[in-house]
Order: sequence, then C-alpha cells, then structure tokens
Amino acid sequence: MTHPTINGKPVHPAARMYAREFREGKLSRREFLARATSLGVTAAGAYALGGLAQPARATEGARDGGTLRVQMEVRALKDPRTADWSQIANIYRGWLDYLVEYQADGSFKPMLLESWEINEDATEYRLQVRQGVTWNNGDAFTAEDVAHNIRRWCERDVEANSMAARVASLIDDETGLAREGAIEVTGDHELILRPSVPDITLIAGFADYPAAVVHPSYNGENPVDVPIGTGPYLPESHEVGIRSVLVRNPDHSWWGTEVYGGPHLDRIEYIDFGTDPASWLAAAESEEVDMLYESVGEFIEILDAIGWTKSEAVTANTIVIRPNQVAEVEGMRPYEDARVRRALAMAVDNSVCLELGYSGLGTVAENHHVCPIHPEYADIGPAPYDPEGAMALMEEAGMADYEHELVSIDDDWRKNTTDAVAAQLRDAGMNVRRTVLPGSTFWNDWTKFPFSSTNWNMRPLGVQVLALAYRSGEAWNECGYANPEFDSKLAEALSIADADQRREVMAEIEQLLRDDGVIIQPYWRSIYRHYTDQVVGADMHPTFEIHAYKLGLAA
Amino acid sequence: MGLFFLRRLGVMILTALCLTFIVFFLTNLYPNLEKLAKTQGNMRMTDAEVTQWLDNRGYLQPMPVKYAQWLGVAPGWTREFQQDGQTVVTGRCLDGAVPAAEAAEAPRFCGILQGDWGYSTVFRDSVASIIGTRLGLTGYLMFWVMLLMVPSALLLGVLAGMREGSRTDRTLSTFAITTTATPEYVSGVILIAVFASSAVGLRWFKGTATAAMENPNFENFFLPVLTIALYGMGYIARMTRASMAEVMTAQYIRTARLKGVSFPNIVMKHALRNALIAPFTVIMLQFPWLLNGVVIVETLFNYKGFGWTLVQAAGNNDIELLLAVSVVSVIVVLVTQLISDIGYVYLNPRISVT
Repeated sequence: MTHPTINGKPVHPAARMYAREFREGKLSRREFLARATSLGVTAAGAYALGGLAQPARATEGARDGGTLRVQMEVRALKDPRTADWSQIANIYRGWLDYLVEYQADGSFKPMLLESWEINEDATEYRLQVRQGVTWNNGDAFTAEDVAHNIRRWCERDVEANSMAARVASLIDDETGLAREGAIEVTGDHELILRPSVPDITLIAGFADYPAAVVHPSYNGENPVDVPIGTGPYLPESHEVGIRSVLVRNPDHSWWGTEVYGGPHLDRIEYIDFGTDPASWLAAAESEEVDMLYESVGEFIEILDAIGWTKSEAVTANTIVIRPNQVAEVEGMRPYEDARVRRALAMAVDNSVCLELGYSGLGTVAENHHVCPIHPEYADIGPAPYDPEGAMALMEEAGMADYEHELVSIDDDWRKNTTDAVAAQLRDAGMNVRRTVLPGSTFWNDWTKFPFSSTNWNMRPLGVQVLALAYRSGEAWNECGYANPEFDSKLAEALSIADADQRREVMAEIEQLLRDDGVIIQPYWRSIYRHYTDQVVGADMHPTFEIHAYKLGLAA
Repeated sequence: MGLFFLRRLGVMILTALCLTFIVFFLTNLYPNLEKLAKTQGNMRMTDAEVTQWLDNRGYLQPMPVKYAQWLGVAPGWTREFQQDGQTVVTGRCLDGAVPAAEAAEAPRFCGILQGDWGYSTVFRDSVASIIGTRLGLTGYLMFWVMLLMVPSALLLGVLAGMREGSRTDRTLSTFAITTTATPEYVSGVILIAVFASSAVGLRWFKGTATAAMENPNFENFFLPVLTIALYGMGYIARMTRASMAEVMTAQYIRTARLKGVSFPNIVMKHALRNALIAPFTVIMLQFPWLLNGVVIVETLFNYKGFGWTLVQAAGNNDIELLLAVSVVSVIVVLVTQLISDIGYVYLNPRISVT
C-alpha cells in the first residue's frame, strides 16, 4: 500500500483521533475526510484510516478528445485574487492551477503542493512543492513561485483582494503586506509558513477559487491576455456575455497527466445563456449544450424528465436575508436596533422558506450561518419562531409602522425565498415593500441595501465564512455588523485546530449572531447540475468548481 | 433631388445630435456614474473613492465638455500621475498609462468625428467592433424576417382584399388580427412551448438561437424569425387588405371588368400597383419597429445581436455603447424613411420629392 500521508511522514495524531471519532459515529464521513486530508493525510490514506471503501475515479471511461459545451455565465475576467464569481475562476482554471483542490467529498487534494505538514498548534506549515511542474512558457515551477503568490495574496491594500482575508494571519497589520518571516523559502521545493496566530484555515483558503497560482510576471492585467500558467488548456477566445473557449495546449505537457490523469477534452466551450433558467432549459432541450452550470428549482424535475443525468452536491451554500445595520434610510438607521432585527428573524419560519423558495431541496438552517456539515458545528437548537412576539418586539422598538423595503435579485429561488420572507413578515403585521432588481444592477450595491437577500457559497470550515462576512470591516460584511465581542470570539475559534474544542466557542458565536439578529438564514441548499449521459467527470461540486482536466466524453 | 437629400441628411444629423445628447445627459447623471464606478471598480468603494475613480477617468468634467469630447470637437482629457518615480499620463485618447513623451505624440482629439466610437465598459472591447458584429447578426435576422414577412403579408392582404366580405376575407382577416394583437413576448413563449419543448413534445425546432449566430439553419433560426414576422405580418396584411379593397371599388376596375378582363388579370395588372402604395410605407416603417422587436426576441432566444446589446448596455450604464446604439437607431429610422419617400415617387407618379 502507498503511504497514508502526502509526504511520507507519520500520520498527524489528530487525524488518528478523527478516524476513531468517525468510526464511533461522532463525525460524519465528509467532516472526517475534510479534517484528515487538511492535516496532510492522502485521500486514499483517509479512506483507509476511516475504514471506507475507495471511490471509483469518476473520469474512468472518458475518451481522449472531443468538445464539451457548457452553459455558464461568461463574465469579464479579472486578476484572480480579486475574482468575485466562481464562473470567472472556472474559465481561468483551464490554464491556472491551484495549490490545493477541494473535492466534492470534502477532502483536500494536493495539486501544485505535493504535501504539507502542520504542527500541533497550527502555527507552522511546512509546504512541499510538487517537482517536475513547468509553466507553459517553459519556466520551472519552484517554491519561490509559491511564495510570490502567497505574498500577492497578502497585499491587503489592493482593491477587492479577497484573498487577504483568507491569509490574514500572514499579513503585517502595519504595512498591509506579508509579515517579515511569515513566508520562508527553505529550498527549491520547500517553504515554511508561520501564521501570527494559530490558523487552521490556510489550506482551505488555498483551495478557494480566487487562489489560482499566477506566473511571477503577471501584473494584474486581464488574465486572458497573458495566459501563462501551469494548466493544460489555453483560452482561445473570451467574449463577455457570449462565450469563452478553452483549447488543449499542444505545446505543454501538463504535470497532472501522470498524477491524476486527464485532460481528456480538446475543447471546452462555456456559452452564456443569460440568467433565466428557462433559457438554460431551452438550451438543454435544443441540444445546444451538454452540461449545465447549475440546475435550479422546478427545472430540476424537468431536466430529469428529459433524460439528463442529475448530480447532487450537499453543501453549506445558503441564502441570507439580512438587514444592514449601518444603512441609512431617509436620515435614520432603521436596523441599528437589535430588537428590530431580532423581530424580523422571529417572524419568519425557516421551513416555510425552504418549502416555498427552494421546493424543499435542502435542510432548514438556524440563523447563524454555521452548517451541520461544518466540522465545528454546534447544535444550539432551531431558530425561534414567534410572529406575535416579533410584532410586540417591533412595537417596543417603536418601528411598528416602518415600511421595510426588501430587495432581491430577479431569479428563481432567491426571489421566491425572499417573497416567502416578505409574506411572513406581512402575516406578522409588518409593512413590507418588495423590490426585485435584475442581476445586472443588483450586484452593484449588494452590500449596501438596507434590507436584502444574498446567496453565499460555502467554505469548507464554518469559521471561514464567519471571518469573511461578519468580522468588523471586512470587504464582504454586508450586514454592517461590528461587534468586538464577536470579533474576539471568532479570533479565538480561528486559533483552535481541534474542531471539538472549537465547537464550545462556536456555540457562543452562533448564539451571539442569533441574539444580535444579524441574519435570517432560512436553509442550506443542496445544489444540482444536469448533463447528458455522454459527459463524464462533471459531477456537481459544492463550490461550483469545474475542474477542466476531469471533464470528458464517454468512450 | 440633391437638395432633398441634403435636407434629409441635415435632419438626420440634427436628430442624432439631439438624441445622443439626451442619452448622454441621462447616462451621465451622478447616480448612474456612481453605479458605473462600482461595477467597474469595486462594489465596496467609499463615496470619496468613487469620486476619485470618476475624476481619474474624466467623468467629472462639465457635461457639455464631455459631450464635445465624445463628438471629437474638444480635445480629450488627460491626467498626470506619478508612478515609479516618473510622470505617466492617462487620457481619453491614450491606451492605459503612457510616459509623458509618448502622450505628447498621441492625437488630441478622439471622438465620433475622428472615427473613435469609444470603449465599452461592460464588454471590455471597442464599441465599433461590438456594434459591427452585433448589427451584422441582427441584420441577418431582419433579412430573413423581411423575406418571410413581406411576401406572406402581401399575399394575405391581397387575397383578403380582392373580394371584401367573402369567407376568405373573414378567415384571413381573423388570422391577421390575431397575430398582430399578440406581442412577441407572448407569441415567442407559446412557440417555444409548442414547437421546441418537451412540454408538448413536438420538438421540431430549437428553443434557443445561440448556435444560429455562427451556424444558422432552419431548425435553430426559424422560431425567432417567425416570432418577429408574425407580429408585423398581421399589421401589413391589414393595411394591404384595406388598400386593396378600396382599389377594387374604383371606377377603372369596374370599367376593366365590364370590358371582360379576367379577374386574375384585373388583380395582377390593374389593382396591385395602386394597392401597394400604402403598404410600402408601412413596410418601411417596419424597420424601426423591427429594431424594437428584436430587443425582446433576441433576449428570449439568446441571439446576441443589436437588441441584446442594447439591453446589456442599458442595464450596466455603458455610456459609450448606449450612445453608439442611439446613433445607429437614428440612422436606421431616417434612412428607411428616405427610401420610403423615394419609393413613393416610383409607385405614384403624381408625387415628387421636390
């Protein structure tokens, strides 16, 4: 048998502990895999440790060559570290690789990193860079390139660099750049990271979609114009709103062919069919595409009926209906008072939202944005539902007559869910006006609306999304939430490598979010994708990633 | 005749100026600029950053100055920055930041008059090439719409109008009224549901025309063509019928009849030419209407032509693209009117353009 860890070192003691807990039924399969692999156990090793059967490789049976047409929104590309859409990343994922790849089963697969080792209290990461990797311009890929990318991610003052939040523990607070000594290159293919506080999320952060590894010569221009990367494809054309085409790079031998197999396809076409799911269905029925980016709502059943293959991913993807605490409406801040926000949350029965908004295709959530599939989830019971109490609370806060304007994007599930919330608020006796905006204008102001709904994609660990969305002053803090108590508790949670110990702090954090009425978060979505029976390796991914090298057509 | 053309050209330029100024004015209102800054820059910019962003890109100059720059009658703006210890210049006529020496050699004026249509912020491409490609696609769509719509509408109208009140007339008129009373967004959806979806199960055609942009064929292109054509067809048929019915009651037709000319000959040789004058104007008026109709149909069928571009440009406050779209629309409307006026002269010798 091959060695159970990615670097041939002994298995991290915590991984063995997780395996024991998993066999005792304290951990789910997904949690176990996510935790064990992020500690440097190989996926195969983790399956063995947990006594699980190895899954068959999804891409077996793919023939070499062919063209795959995928329905997906084609957006303007930007510097990967500032990318704000999974769709953007799916395109540059053709020629840019990642250090680590998050798998649909919750595990982390080493890509440009061959292995990593984390010390007991998560304050030192020893990264081994994969050998024999070359850039498609011929340069060799070294630890210096990895260090360069991590330093780029640390540049906090670059506008919209969301990677900075993911590697916050490597940043010097004064300069807004990588801290002196945080990144040390110790060999051609080895480097050490030293986070300032125990940080358990770095590997997961490296797997996130803005973390594509760029060439040292890359300077923030449109990535399509300078497609230097380590990946197996090249962009042939990229027309915003129309389509984007990736073709196999004939002059480059991709490192992954030996390690993971693939790529199989000669050509991948991402075609934009707008945001209306009815036109995606029309595209599917007209045989204009072989695979959808995502199937939603009532269309899932229809697509099943026309004989397409359904792939489901259980996720911590969700929708959040949140008041913005600092937003001003006509000179006052309607949602500054926690009683108002709590009243809104109390008036809404989350299970009704799931049923009406998403046809019951998910699980009911509890208004604190930590999902049962996250390792550190603490069960603090269902969110309180009490419409009469809610109205009483609203009256107490003197806001009983206020007309709430609830904004949502014009689509299928987000609009319906927001409608369900609005209807329940009205049932409780509040005045609600619904505003539905088209996607092209909605996202211009998404963090600014006083009261609106937003969809959030999942992160592998529960603390990650809390750090991105609810910490004071974060770029994506759309609630305007600024609570020093929350910030300090979260910092504490972020330093506890052991999920069981972290759970105790998490219970307090979850309760805090709920008591402050920060969000109405009705449900966790299962997500679906359909493709024809000819497509292989296109399984739905919890974070919507499309791994170009896995895709293929059946032989 | 020459004077007539000059006068028409003058009207066209004046209309284009007025319309573009209105569009320019509306898209340059501050809230729209703020929206633009946030889409292009960063959704979370503070108000100060927005002002800075707009100022660095010349958006905060007085409206008439900006408009003059867009036209190309005022020199484009420039801004100097310090970058890595040397002075670099950005400007309307410059591509990104360039050293001062290079900037001095660049043309000072770059507007419509110089043939520079600007840069689309949403598509990240030059406006001229976007308009070129998209207008070509819409032109192709319109060509087929006209080819289907005009002959069948005339045929319907003539058949209905030659014997007013007959059973044929009533049947065809009902059909014509139904199609013209059904807007494209209704008929398009119905056609897709019936002929392209598994809901009815016919699936004769494709419910999306995306592939038709490159490889149009009967299967993927017929439904969008039919959707637009049906709407205009009923309208033109009604016009033709009315005109035909009127001509058929004229004295000279009765005379021809009394002289024993056969009915088909009367219709073809005597009635048709006179009956076609009114429909001709209507057909020419259909061009601007088609530009209108393609907005809905192109969005519905995901055919990325001129109408779809207009929707995207308007939705994202893409100033220079919107302006170009308005200029093109003005030209299309006025040129078709010109053709209609000249065509009149040939159909009816009593009318003269002078």
